[in-house]
Amino acid sequence: MSNSTRTSPGKNTARSQTGAKRGRSAKQRISGWIEQHIDACADALQRVWTQPLNSMMSLMVVAIALLLPALVYVAGKNMAQFGGSLQNTHRISFYLQPGTSPEQAQALQALMTDHPLVDRVEFISSQQAAADFANWSGLGDVIDSFGDNPLPASLEAHPVDMATDTALQIRDAFASDTAIFQVVMDVAWIERLDSLMQLTDRMVLALILVLSLAVLFIIGNTVRTHIAGRDAEIRVMTLIGATRAFISRPFLYNGALQGLLGAALAWLLLLALLQLLAQPAQALLAFYGDEYVFTGLDLRASLFMLAGGLLLGWMGAALSLSRHLNKP
Amino acid sequence: MIRFDEVSKRYAGGHQALKQVSFELDQGAMVFLTGRSGAGKSTLLKLIMLTERPDQGQIVVGARNILRLSAQQIPLYRRRIGVVFQDHQLLFDRSVFDNVMLPLRIDAYDKHEAARRVRAALDKVGLLSKEKMNPITLSGGEQQRVGIARAVVNRPQILLADEPTGNLDPELAAEIMLLFEQFNQVGVSMLIASHDLSLITRLRHRILTLDQGSLINDEVHPSRRDSQSHGSGR
Repeated sequence: MSNSTRTSPGKNTARSQTGAKRGRSAKQRISGWIEQHIDACADALQRVWTQPLNSMMSLMVVAIALLLPALVYVAGKNMAQFGGSLQNTHRISFYLQPGTSPEQAQALQALMTDHPLVDRVEFISSQQAAADFANWSGLGDVIDSFGDNPLPASLEAHPVDMATDTALQIRDAFASDTAIFQVVMDVAWIERLDSLMQLTDRMVLALILVLSLAVLFIIGNTVRTHIAGRDAEIRVMTLIGATRAFISRPFLYNGALQGLLGAALAWLLLLALLQLLAQPAQALLAFYGDEYVFTGLDLRASLFMLAGGLLLGWMGAALSLSRHLNKP
Repeated sequence: MIRFDEVSKRYAGGHQALKQVSFELDQGAMVFLTGRSGAGKSTLLKLIMLTERPDQGQIVVGARNILRLSAQQIPLYRRRIGVVFQDHQLLFDRSVFDNVMLPLRIDAYDKHEAARRVRAALDKVGLLSKEKMNPITLSGGEQQRVGIARAVVNRPQILLADEPTGNLDPELAAEIMLLFEQFNQVGVSMLIASHDLSLITRLRHRILTLDQGSLINDEVHPSRRDSQSHGSGR
């Protein structure tokens, strides 16, 4: 361990004499620097602690501002499940007139398969349709009670691509065939869902932007009052050689801490809300099939929220410091 | 140690605080700066601290032209200068110990070394027994001594004092000056602004006299008779 002195260029002999007394080892310097940061953290924590009511109120506002986009995100994510599964069932169902012979149906299937926009065509007999329905809905008894199977046979055409236009062309090509009494296409409702999904995506983005700004200003304002309250201290510290970084540090840590605590609070609130919503939401989803499971906030989104809160708090404090800390 | 070359300072309002002031202060010197209120004493000290900048002239401190220091260098430069204020500028939200600790915290001293130095500085000003007290509970003289401990804890080469005895009775003022002389004897260069002529002439150090921003007198060991001609300074 060398006891090195800090000598800078331009020091005269008289100064380096006193300079020798100032000498500190590298280890002492580093531990001093770490202690500065620990001090700043402790100071930041203390500011939150000593004014619990004030802190709690501003944290609550931060939490609510972060909670809103998170809620919309969760709602959107659950809706996206439908989008995902419905895209695979993009198809046009041609229901055949009752009494259509199997030969007629096969001829029509061959004709459809030849269409350039059709990928493949499945024939679903009325028996199979009844079995599928019983399977899917659990209402097999109802079908049985009819005696005669009321469900028509159908041809399901799968287009070569997902474009609505393609589906419409296929529909128009065969809708007038005498063997067909109804064409059903999911296009409209798929489109509606698609645009709804896009809307939620945009809403999440817009909410994140607007409410991030709110968080920035809320924390910036809290930090501003801290700066004003410590005016004397800042002035004295500047006069005795504190750098701007040193003076700013506790405020930056305080802002980051407020952001992080606000995000953590938002996360807890979200957890409580989802707990409340989970059961009815799951019940609703169950109507659409077993594969739909209500999901909450995943780990990645949770971390994103916490990191976002921290970063916004830091930025809010930096913004406030740049505006309210007097130049040395 | 400190050299002023034709330094002038005019404030934004038009007030001419200093007019072409030149002087040199040697390493290890103890110099008083006197003059009426508004003569430019505080401005001169502020120029050395770089809280104000001159309009003209050069200021050299420790062989370095301080007017060329960058914004990043200024804090490091200030750490080498101790300052004692008339109103001591102590922080009442922390103990005497933590007040004196402040310059060392700023300079990133580790706690162990810092505590040792703080106690040494408090011992020197005779307040070691009061380290845990809040400075607001101390007397004016004691508060000023805490301010001095804070100014010397970092072992600066230069100590500036702006009316350090301005709020104190003559006896306490004399004590403070005695303390300054002790620091000077261990090699600290001193520049002390004071209008208390009866006190500073008794101490027989060099005296710079400012009048309306101009340096009108620079005497070493002035006699009693001279001091009476400036005696109306208060």
